[in-house]
Amino acid sequence: MYFLDDYSGIFVRYDLKRERGEAKAVAVEDEALQQVIQCVVDGDTDNIGEVVRKALETKDPMEVINALVKGMNEVSRLWDEGVYYLPQAILSSDAMLEGIEICEEKMGKAMVKKGVIITHTAEGDIHDLGQKIVNALLRANGYEVIDLGKDVPVDEVVAAVKQYKPAMLTGTALMTTTMTAFERISKRLTREGISLPFVCGGGAVSEEYVTSFDLGIWGKDASQAPLMAADAVSGKDWRQLREKWNG
Amino acid sequence: MAKYTSMAYQSADEMVFGTAKYPVKYGRDFEVGGGLVYPELVPHPRPGSEETKKTLVREYEKMVNDVLERCVQLGFPGIQIELEHVYQMTRNPDWGGEIAAATKRLMDDYYQKYGLKSAIRATIADYRKPDEENMRDSDALKNILATFEASAAAGADNLSIESMGGKEITDYAIVRQDIKGVLFGIGVLGSRDVEFLWKKIVEIANKHGVTPGGDTDCSQANVAMFMAGGYLDKSVPHTFAAICRAIAAARTLVAYEQGAKGPTKDCGYEDPIIKAIAGIPISMEGKTCACAHSDLLGNLVAAVCDLWSNEAVEYHDMFGGTTAAVFTEILGYDVALMNTAVKMGKAKDLRDMMINSDKYRDTHGFILSPDNAYEIGKAIVSNSESYYSRARAAAIKAAELMRGDSKLLLSDFEKEVLESTYKALLSLPDKEEDFIAECIPVYQKQVKGFKPSNYGL
Repeated sequence: MYFLDDYSGIFVRYDLKRERGEAKAVAVEDEALQQVIQCVVDGDTDNIGEVVRKALETKDPMEVINALVKGMNEVSRLWDEGVYYLPQAILSSDAMLEGIEICEEKMGKAMVKKGVIITHTAEGDIHDLGQKIVNALLRANGYEVIDLGKDVPVDEVVAAVKQYKPAMLTGTALMTTTMTAFERISKRLTREGISLPFVCGGGAVSEEYVTSFDLGIWGKDASQAPLMAADAVSGKDWRQLREKWNG
Repeated sequence: MAKYTSMAYQSADEMVFGTAKYPVKYGRDFEVGGGLVYPELVPHPRPGSEETKKTLVREYEKMVNDVLERCVQLGFPGIQIELEHVYQMTRNPDWGGEIAAATKRLMDDYYQKYGLKSAIRATIADYRKPDEENMRDSDALKNILATFEASAAAGADNLSIESMGGKEITDYAIVRQDIKGVLFGIGVLGSRDVEFLWKKIVEIANKHGVTPGGDTDCSQANVAMFMAGGYLDKSVPHTFAAICRAIAAARTLVAYEQGAKGPTKDCGYEDPIIKAIAGIPISMEGKTCACAHSDLLGNLVAAVCDLWSNEAVEYHDMFGGTTAAVFTEILGYDVALMNTAVKMGKAKDLRDMMINSDKYRDTHGFILSPDNAYEIGKAIVSNSESYYSRARAAAIKAAELMRGDSKLLLSDFEKEVLESTYKALLSLPDKEEDFIAECIPVYQKQVKGFKPSNYGL
């Protein structure tokens, strides 16, 4: 086999030219809380339990939760700036959620969530990785997620919306022949007088298709989900979300 | 079942497009790997056409006719059409069977009228849910097997699947950059599931006198590759995704150990490694599958292919005709160039041009460059004590190849990931039983619904 020495003019490694930001530790005075923050920033799921329990020996659970959230905010910054990859964000989210669970046990009640979001993967579609990422990001941002799972029949989605009255519904699909379930869900909800933002995304799902039916908002990327949820919880309706995020 | 312990080829340089050590014949005068490359066109129905059996069968008839007509219009010698099942075709075995029968009728007609060589690959949808049901005894499995039967009986020449075993673990692991989980999900659980499934598929194929084609780790290694994406993406590190691919090769190989004959599935980017080990013909997709997704090895993956595919093109109108016809034309000319190189005695020159075009563009192209694919293949066959040992050996070899070639440029972040993944791989137990014993409690706790019994554990 013959190999070239010089590949210039054939391709350019643009990724090598990108600037990298730095992971800065958020500094707080208390050492125990600092360790909690650091564990979240590092996505250290092995040690988060220990440092959170240690912090709870002297701190109020809400103080510890605030430190966990502070750590996660730093992770969001690092991800936005392109320093962190998705795996770092997911691991940090795992660490933060584990920490919150311990704090909630200590409080004896669950912390107040920002709102309820239902997620599902379309009927006939078992490719739910995108949905799992959406779940993790929504939970990390303080939302209660009702995860209906994959290959969910239209009837079940509609029933869940009636039962949980979420601020937003999401649907994930890989194939164009499974995404047609989204339109059926939209029609059923609309017919029954239910109006809420229904964010659809994944694989071959297109903006053109999703915005062709009422309620539909196209989600380009899983990372948009918490921002869209914030809009929905703040009272923006599906038309306002569509105007902001699509087109 | 015996595992491969030696390579089909003496060296990587022996491998070239169009020729496989063990060619396969089926369909209408159709031979894969016998010296020439053929196109493989995969049409995808428009949304809405799946509503009823009648509308879906009609959609396929139109798509298939467009493909065959364009072949004759432009003088292409032969074509394989893949009926890659949308879930409605597998959930309702008679739908899949009827579409295969309609395709066969059209292909027979074009063969009789014009002598167009052709074949049908039916790829059945694996819609088992590993974390929700018993994978070895579920309604989904029964339907899947019934659809294999119906498709084979109705006229499919080649039976294939994109199996899902281990995906529940790998989904969890890929997005956490957890190489141990990937080795467990793809290398151990995936391999065991392929073994279970392919015993049954080969039995059905033999019963109907059709060819058991191949499997692909589409649902796992391709997930890693597509999430890694291009130069701007930040979802999964490219070095990590490339190591996932090497592990996938050890898994996909199991289908051929169970009796699959190939050609492999087009979206199995691990196929050059499989060809190096098993010598069976492979189907690949690259630049001409940009209609379905983007990759960073558009030319290189054609270097040792025997079928050249477009992955999937949704049926629509374009200025140049319907998409099915247009992509048939693009594939046909790609293939004509490869076959011209064969006839002119320049196949290896063209192959080397394809390789050089992409080998250092990205990590995936790098490890699937035939020279490196061959080395990964050697690591697999030299460590065949267990599914785990060979998958781990493939991963370590891929990491070593990336670490050892100064022409492969990596960002600092990618270097860090490569080093930490390599270190993690070296720290894992040597024996499969130890590895499994270590993994089961960890992933039972972390992955909701994971059931070792789905994999005979």
